[in-house]
Amino acid sequence: MVDVSKRPLHFLSRIPRPVRVLIGIAIAAFAWVLMGDRVSEFRITQGSMVAAYALAIISIVMLTGYSGQVSLGHGSFLAVGAYACALFLVNLHWPIWLTFFISVIAAAIVGAIVGIAAARLSGPYLAGTTLAFAVGVPSISGLVNILGGEQGISWDAAEQYGPPSRYGDPYMFLNKWVYWICGAALILGIALAVNITKSRYGRIWRAVRADESAAALAGINVARSKILAFAVSAGFAGFAGAILSVTLSSVAPSTFGLSLSFLILTGAVIGGIRSIYGAIVGALALVILPMLSDMIASNASESIHTNLPGVITGVLLVLTVLFNPGGTAAAFNHLAHGLRSKGRRSSH
Amino acid sequence: MSTLLSTLIMGLSLGAIYSLMAVALILVWRSTRVVNFAQAGQAVLSTYIGLEIHRMTGSYWLAILLSIIFGGVLGGLIDLALVRPLLRRAGSGPEAAVAPVIATLGLLAVLQGVSGMLWGGELINFPSAFSTAGLSIGGSKIPFSAFDLFTVGASLAVMLAFSFIFQRTGLGLSMRAAAFSPEVAQLAGVRTGRVRTIGWSFAGAAGGLAGVLITPTTFLAPNSLDLLLVFGFTAAVVGGLESMIGGALGGLALGFGLALVLQYAGSSYTFMTAFVVLLAVLLLRPQGLIGKRSGRRV
Repeated sequence: MVDVSKRPLHFLSRIPRPVRVLIGIAIAAFAWVLMGDRVSEFRITQGSMVAAYALAIISIVMLTGYSGQVSLGHGSFLAVGAYACALFLVNLHWPIWLTFFISVIAAAIVGAIVGIAAARLSGPYLAGTTLAFAVGVPSISGLVNILGGEQGISWDAAEQYGPPSRYGDPYMFLNKWVYWICGAALILGIALAVNITKSRYGRIWRAVRADESAAALAGINVARSKILAFAVSAGFAGFAGAILSVTLSSVAPSTFGLSLSFLILTGAVIGGIRSIYGAIVGALALVILPMLSDMIASNASESIHTNLPGVITGVLLVLTVLFNPGGTAAAFNHLAHGLRSKGRRSSH
Repeated sequence: MSTLLSTLIMGLSLGAIYSLMAVALILVWRSTRVVNFAQAGQAVLSTYIGLEIHRMTGSYWLAILLSIIFGGVLGGLIDLALVRPLLRRAGSGPEAAVAPVIATLGLLAVLQGVSGMLWGGELINFPSAFSTAGLSIGGSKIPFSAFDLFTVGASLAVMLAFSFIFQRTGLGLSMRAAAFSPEVAQLAGVRTGRVRTIGWSFAGAAGGLAGVLITPTTFLAPNSLDLLLVFGFTAAVVGGLESMIGGALGGLALGFGLALVLQYAGSSYTFMTAFVVLLAVLLLRPQGLIGKRSGRRV
């Protein structure tokens, strides 16, 4: 056993857990609002994108990092959530928090159905099948009239879920208001994800991932645990899709193509496939990398400019797999562990 | 001519190209136990090289030849530079399970990005040596052009060459041995690393040919072969992912099936077809349509 009293910040463990969680949420919310006040209107929308990406990456972390299943088609679950949100917002004028709920449920149902098939597949078979799923789902928008075809659906964000008019012109304040909604959703999502992964189900998922036969011997229903993981993960992806559509105030099939599925997976690998908090790092990377490559290629030709982000993320993916398979989270843990053991040695 | 017959003829050349892609994926899968998602990127880059050769020399035959050679060299290089270190570092846990998938996806992004940097993102028309207009037999036009005939012939030639190499040469024997049991093959003196590199370069060459053959009908763009990858994978799974003949037949079956969907349901449904076919095959007959039943898990 590790001696807890030697850890930095060990005094925090004396505070009761519910209080600690509330303090953590308060600090996170404060930091989110503070960051929103420091940046320009354009940057604030990027903050909302970080929230959407982070939720999507969390869904991958739960599926791959905890349950050990691979999905190359999670962009499709984002699409389900986003379209559900759009339909209930635009056609039925439901309040936004209720449409989020619908998005999560809708995506989780689709996820459970795909999960039933996925539970019987593994490795490359699962990867290839979810890849085909990612190719197939966006094309549904062309088959069903209500989904708006190639153009998709767009709406007036201020009218649907803008800030209350007593705070002045809703359009002036709209982006920051959406950013706050996204922040609240992200904090709620992280709290939920941490709870789920620390619960009985999180332990079951890890047991199945480590050794299916051993888990089955211990009385775990392996197939059911995999299907549940797929449904929960898809629910988070649906939440992320709803956040994304709220940020963009539109949905269109082109948003949810193969590249979105790959992008989410990229963020998860860079952040660390097992780490919920690493998802934030991965999401930040997804937003910052294109800006970075913009700066590098500001004088280059059009074709280099548009393709540099893809090349950079591709190289980053390959390097991560080869040299740092645990992603940023593992590198950070390694670093923290090294510092801690160094401190212990010097105290003797 | 009946609609059904002409639809099936239309599916033939499509199926031949899917077969090539399926065989490429199966070659890599058998030697490395990796589904190479970068295959689409390798094929696209090889096809662009062919396009460039055609622009410089004006010779279609030189272009197609160099596409195939470049595809082969690129495949071998990828094995040496990426797959070899990846296999050496194989760890455990969820990272190891996704590592090959992530690595080949990353490579796909790099290859497509580089193609986009060098040739831009717009659709380019790739030439073909033969007319792509339908032939006429006995006065009635059929939806099968001279180029389609060439496509089917070239695919068939590649398949025959591969099966000759596999069944009749020492190299083929080593490849089959290494795929069957790497450790035993190594003990028997097979240099499994080199055999794997050769497998990757054969696969790259087949992918390069598939790219050159499909672009006259689909146009060329950095991500224009993504669908070919998905359908090639589907074809490979239909054939059981282990047998080359199975992959070839799977490609043909998928070509016919897609032509039927196109004709009777509309193009919007083709994207869903691969997913539905994959699910049906994997859940009902995971050993593939011609595979032997065994304890293999999918």
